[in-house]
Amino acid sequence: MNGSRFPGAFWAMAALGSLGVGASWFAVSPERFWANWLLWFLFVLTTGLGSLFIVALGHLVGARWSVPIRRAPERLSSLVLLAAPLGVVALLALPVLYPWARPEGALNHIIAGKAPWLNVPFFAIRVFVCFGVWLLAYRILTGGSVKQDQTKDPTFSVRARRFAPAFMVIFGFTITLVAFDWISSLEPEWYSDIFGVYLFAGTFLAGLGASALVVIHLVEHGRLPGVRGDHLYNLGGFMFAFTVFWSYIGFAQYMLMWYGNMPEEIFWYKQRIEGPWLNVILLLAAVHFLVPFFALVPRDRKGDPRNMRWVATLVLAAHFLDLYWLIFPVVGTSPVFSWPEISFALCFLGLAMLWVRRAMSTGADMPVGDPLLQEGLEFRL
Amino acid sequence: MAERAFAVVGLFDSAQELIEAIPRVRARQVGRVEAYTPYPVHGIDAALGLRRSPLGGMVLVAGLLGTVTALSFQWWMNAVDYPIPIGGKAVFSWQAFVPVMFEVTVLFATFTAGLGMLFLLNRLPFFSHPLLSSKAIAAVTRDKFALAVEADGNGLDVDRARAALLTVGAKMLEVLPFPSREPSSLRFIFRATLGIAAACVVAGYGMYWTIKLFPVLPPMVHMQDQPKLNAYKASVFFKDGHGMQIPVEGTVPRGYLPYTISTQGEAGELVNPLPRTRQVLQKGRKAFSEHCAVCHGALGNGVPTLTSAYGAKPANLQAQTFRDYPDGKIYHVIMVGKNAMPSYAADLTEDERWAIVHYVRVLQRAQNARDEDLR
Repeated sequence: MNGSRFPGAFWAMAALGSLGVGASWFAVSPERFWANWLLWFLFVLTTGLGSLFIVALGHLVGARWSVPIRRAPERLSSLVLLAAPLGVVALLALPVLYPWARPEGALNHIIAGKAPWLNVPFFAIRVFVCFGVWLLAYRILTGGSVKQDQTKDPTFSVRARRFAPAFMVIFGFTITLVAFDWISSLEPEWYSDIFGVYLFAGTFLAGLGASALVVIHLVEHGRLPGVRGDHLYNLGGFMFAFTVFWSYIGFAQYMLMWYGNMPEEIFWYKQRIEGPWLNVILLLAAVHFLVPFFALVPRDRKGDPRNMRWVATLVLAAHFLDLYWLIFPVVGTSPVFSWPEISFALCFLGLAMLWVRRAMSTGADMPVGDPLLQEGLEFRL
Repeated sequence: MAERAFAVVGLFDSAQELIEAIPRVRARQVGRVEAYTPYPVHGIDAALGLRRSPLGGMVLVAGLLGTVTALSFQWWMNAVDYPIPIGGKAVFSWQAFVPVMFEVTVLFATFTAGLGMLFLLNRLPFFSHPLLSSKAIAAVTRDKFALAVEADGNGLDVDRARAALLTVGAKMLEVLPFPSREPSSLRFIFRATLGIAAACVVAGYGMYWTIKLFPVLPPMVHMQDQPKLNAYKASVFFKDGHGMQIPVEGTVPRGYLPYTISTQGEAGELVNPLPRTRQVLQKGRKAFSEHCAVCHGALGNGVPTLTSAYGAKPANLQAQTFRDYPDGKIYHVIMVGKNAMPSYAADLTEDERWAIVHYVRVLQRAQNARDEDLR
């Protein structure tokens, strides 16, 4: 997060990464290329959506404490804009990665039965509709908030609070669509009702992790005067709660399928638990649950920026690993991580950092027009 | 009054005033400073300088203890003490244990949090806190914020405390006396235990008599009322409407092969399938004494205990005729009967009949021992 000092480093990362991405287009199998693309598209999208969810949650419950730090998730939610072209390009991955989008899909009677939902035109329509409603929500929640900096007009706060419940419903549906369409339908025979909730938990955590990093960065540079450990503590509390929630949902899904042991369900887990993938899921359990859990249990740790910085980074990385574990088993029976993956990481991480850095200059660092700001700054545990 | 004062209490109109006053009163070091508010006030912990509660650590330890308890409990029951494989899973299937581990963790943790907070840290039961009998209590439970300077180990200097509270702007000062008598925790615990015991007895008797007097409320009938077919139940599934069906023709129960031999000569060819072991002979002796000895006598010599009512004389199995009988012929007699003796086929199993044959041979040999048997 040294973006303000080293913007050149991010340009270099992005440039070097895009060279590698270009090379991997010719060097590796199309499955692996598009799996990487899908992974980064979803990582950027879910981080942005999670941030947008945090913004809407604050408006929904009329939270005071989150007002001074609200600009962080508001700016991060612009990642949804960056994800939009990535998602449109990812539509090219359909015939490569998704069995239902290939002609032989019609021969499998299970996939053929799902054809009314899983077909390319309808899929594309859903993708465009989802992006449409997200961008609309982004415009309403974030655009209005930035405008309020000048106008100091309290009607925006009322409007946002009225819009937030509607957004929650939209968000619930669309995040489920992301989970079912983009991830679950990689193996269209498999289905899990709770999968949307599972992705939601990871999405929220990613938003929290990114927001916490931005807040810590801004506080260090003195750009958020009055924001203290008490505000950070609440972000940490959310993070703690939702690492447990993610584990609860993830294990609930696994345990039911393990118990039932039905061939049409268990094959998905067999691919992701057996062989070298076992190491990945054990690592995932450690970095997505065990380590953040014990790092966030002590009360002082949640408000301590030094602790929160590495926990937030870990939570973001764990969400990335989660997506990797969900997507990459369709590429091969053992996890691959080599120069193409590193190139993709450099390219998209650099792009996202540049994007966030640019977003950091939209509006004031705090929503100075919000009538609740003073109350938020006075918040103490 | 001065040396028996528990606290001096003053009231503030807002939480903000209270928080600002606390450090100034604490700085004067007149006694223990305590605040009483109608709702939890953010930031008051830091203002009062409260030390970190040990409850969090206690809860963590209790929670982990719950996890380990549930895991070892289930491991012992499922994998060691009474291992039953269910659904083809291993007897130690940690996945199945996790929900219980989670629940017991939460149970231990919440009980520790609740009971530890009430009894260990807040030292309940404590019925007569002096504030409860003050005039300030009505305001504190409504919209005022009270600041109290309470007696520490050295007692309380009422005048200094009063001055300290007045300087920071507290209103309606009030001196609270020590409670007139210390509440007796032991007596409370004794009464509470007695009350719980009485409640158990009343509830138990109540339940017993309710079920006894109102049998329309059967307590647990799930095992009785099953959708299966019982032997004499009507059935809509079978054509004849009976639950119990006539077996298919030629059905043979296990261990009851049909006996097709009709003549003694034919039966003489049969060979006793059982080995002459101690177990078989004991089985034969048991069956013989239960079914045969009544008429044939304990030694098989035809001296019975119960024959005076019968005209016929039971056969003396020690007679040369029967000693010369082949095994199969004795078996045949048990199966179909002879003269006045009825068939014992229905009373004895196949194995018991052949064991009796062995035992009759033993009886005969015992009454007609040869020289080499005595050596």
